[in-house]
Amino acid sequence: MDFGYLIPLATLATVGRIFALIGLSIVTGWLLAYLCIKSRSFENVYVPLVNVFESIPVIGFLPLVLVAFVLAIPGAIGVEAAVDFLVFDAVSWNIWIGAYQAFKTVPEHLLEVSENYNFGFLRRMRYLLIPHSIPRLTSNLFASFADAFFYISVSEVFTAGAATANVCRGGVCATFGIGTLITRYTVAGNYVGVFYALFSVAVAVIAVTLLLSWLSRWAVAKYGVDTPAVIKRHAGRWRGRIPTPWRRWRAVRGQVAGFSRYTWRMRTYWHTHQKFGNHSGPSKLPKYLGYAIVACVLGYLVYSSLMLVISVPEATWYVFLQETPKLLEYVGADYLRVSVITLASLAFAVFVGYFLASHHRIGDALLPPLQAFAAFPAPTYFPLLFIATIPFLERALPLLYSEVYIFILGFLSCFYYVFFDFWIGVQAIPSEFLDVVRNHEIPFWPKMRKVILPASLPYLITGLSSTINSAWAGMAIGEYWPDIAPKVAPGGLQAPFGMMYYITYNMANGAIGPAAYVSLLFAVVVAIYGVVFTRNLMDLARKKYVVEEGIFAA
Amino acid sequence: MTYGFSPVENRCRGPLAVNLASGQTLSARNGSEVSCEGLGFAFGSKFIFKDINLKAFKDELIAIIGPTGTGKSTLLRTLAHLIPPTTGRVFLEGKEVTKPSPAIALIHQSIATFPWMTALDNVRLALICKGLAKNEATETSEKMLELVGLKGEEADYPKEMSGGMRQRIAIARALAASPAVLLMDEPFVHLDEMTADGLRKEIYSLVFHPETTLKAAVLVSHNLHEVIQLADRVYVMKGSPATITDEVKIDLPRPRTERDPRFLDYLDQFFNELSVKPLKV
Repeated sequence: MDFGYLIPLATLATVGRIFALIGLSIVTGWLLAYLCIKSRSFENVYVPLVNVFESIPVIGFLPLVLVAFVLAIPGAIGVEAAVDFLVFDAVSWNIWIGAYQAFKTVPEHLLEVSENYNFGFLRRMRYLLIPHSIPRLTSNLFASFADAFFYISVSEVFTAGAATANVCRGGVCATFGIGTLITRYTVAGNYVGVFYALFSVAVAVIAVTLLLSWLSRWAVAKYGVDTPAVIKRHAGRWRGRIPTPWRRWRAVRGQVAGFSRYTWRMRTYWHTHQKFGNHSGPSKLPKYLGYAIVACVLGYLVYSSLMLVISVPEATWYVFLQETPKLLEYVGADYLRVSVITLASLAFAVFVGYFLASHHRIGDALLPPLQAFAAFPAPTYFPLLFIATIPFLERALPLLYSEVYIFILGFLSCFYYVFFDFWIGVQAIPSEFLDVVRNHEIPFWPKMRKVILPASLPYLITGLSSTINSAWAGMAIGEYWPDIAPKVAPGGLQAPFGMMYYITYNMANGAIGPAAYVSLLFAVVVAIYGVVFTRNLMDLARKKYVVEEGIFAA
Repeated sequence: MTYGFSPVENRCRGPLAVNLASGQTLSARNGSEVSCEGLGFAFGSKFIFKDINLKAFKDELIAIIGPTGTGKSTLLRTLAHLIPPTTGRVFLEGKEVTKPSPAIALIHQSIATFPWMTALDNVRLALICKGLAKNEATETSEKMLELVGLKGEEADYPKEMSGGMRQRIAIARALAASPAVLLMDEPFVHLDEMTADGLRKEIYSLVFHPETTLKAAVLVSHNLHEVIQLADRVYVMKGSPATITDEVKIDLPRPRTERDPRFLDYLDQFFNELSVKPLKV
């Protein structure tokens, strides 16, 4: 038994990997955010790109990227680079957007002070921009950590079929970490090992959750700036009742959600100063650097797209085009699954979230364990659930049991985002509105329909967006998991059809072309969905459903 | 006994809204519309105020004044039972109030109107629990908006309106619920002086307008001019924990003017009562 040292070591390796990549995301986020505030053209490309990339569940075409890394960098370093890329991808968007929002919402008077003293890049970063971004970034850390931990179990071991057969053992690439260990123990039927590993993960998750709560509290206490958003938003009746860590976290999240209302001011400030050439410091380097990066990114995108199209033989394109209707059906089937998972998550969020927000003692007791549970990566314990229930469920629902498992895995991987965002949204409703509701004895359904849901809509949409993205990740695992429990279910867990099944199955069998093509179709659909649906809905919420605007206080 | 919810029957007020078994009657509370006995509120073990006894009789506007931090706003919220009191009881027309009810309407210090609803929808919200037909609810809401001077503004959103207009919406919403008592927590503090002065002049006749069901009103304010202009009686709250230290009847004819020497006498009296005495050296 190697549990004594191997499991703690593997857990430390995984947690270390996550925090190292979170650190990298933060540093790159600061630099990119600085370029944004100095170069409008860079910002105009950067923000939409980050939004699109954030909304695209990269796990769908992840194997392609992983294989690219593994083939480009042979040996263990290639596998490690591939895994790190995946975790980086899981954490970076959230942090990058947080850094950008923080830099864009630095109070005007503080910016003027920094200009007054003619601060250059380093001083401005050190004394103003970085400190101002710390509360927002620490508030984003929990979500990033949970995302990263979720992906760990998928990324530390991945099957890439024939394409990597030469560099990875039998096409299975693995790096050292707790995800790898759990997968190996599960495949070997070593359930004692699985339990020890899960226990180790639980200890790590709880420790990190406590650490992040403390960090968030400390960051707000030390670096928080009183903004109108915070003052109005947190005049709530429940303020005194929420335990301090949650209140702090809510305060920070409040700033994040309220960002849109203040962005225009900052845009005006920055861009007015740019317009009149009133840049801080003499250097225009960041601006030109921004232009150069934009040109490089756009050039690379156009070039690589052209090369990809040219490199694929005409006959292959013909086959792909013929397959397109069927593949679009697969995409549709998965959207249906995502819709069901999202609706279930929404229902859970609205009913349970509202109950916990309005019953503060129960909320105080249940929310911390719920947060720890949410950070606990579902793929690590899901095989145990599968092993315990498959004999019964296969008999009870012979045609639908795989759908049930896909639903459960999808739900476990994403319900938390909309739940917690809605909970924060309800907490942020000014007490005056809740008084009106109670004063006029408005019944439950009209109260939800006319007050609570509209008032929390900006939070709800943010949460739904994250939930949908994470649902894809859960489904990608659930639709094709051939070695989930070889001894109990030799065939593994497989969906009868679906886009994620198609991608992961083809990748596992070395058929990169079809997987890449359906990934491309999916990316187009997601981008259209993001622009048409998510963005419009968010714009509507920002225009009409900002509850703080309902409070008039001169 | 009913609470005078005519012309609209209040279907929302459940049996828990008042303690019908308490056996308290109108005469038992000396004919007051709203009253409280031994009211106290504490954060943890520290009382903010305690032993508060006050009454508002029919067609009477009473005011509560006191230094900052004495818990005047909290007192108002405990009267509406939006915050349960730590000690004591609140009575409406002689019956104990045990939960929030549209019969006691609160107007907030920060003007609260729902930004996604038009002025009309904001007022109509107060009528949801009455189960009225949509036409009837619309008609009542329009009437209340007209009463507060917002006829023609029904379809506008609050963010398109000035602070004064938004406060009128809040008043119309409070009145639409056919309350018996109106509680006002510094209702003009966020308005500019001209607007506030205009609303002050209207508010007294507005709250006791024949078309409203109001029988009494309670005002909390720091503005002593406002208090003397509006109130029939004034309770002074002071100390820590705060208690009622004085009760003053404002014996001035209406409309009141600040040029009246007696107005200034009241003003001096309240200033003296509330001023912090300088330390003797």
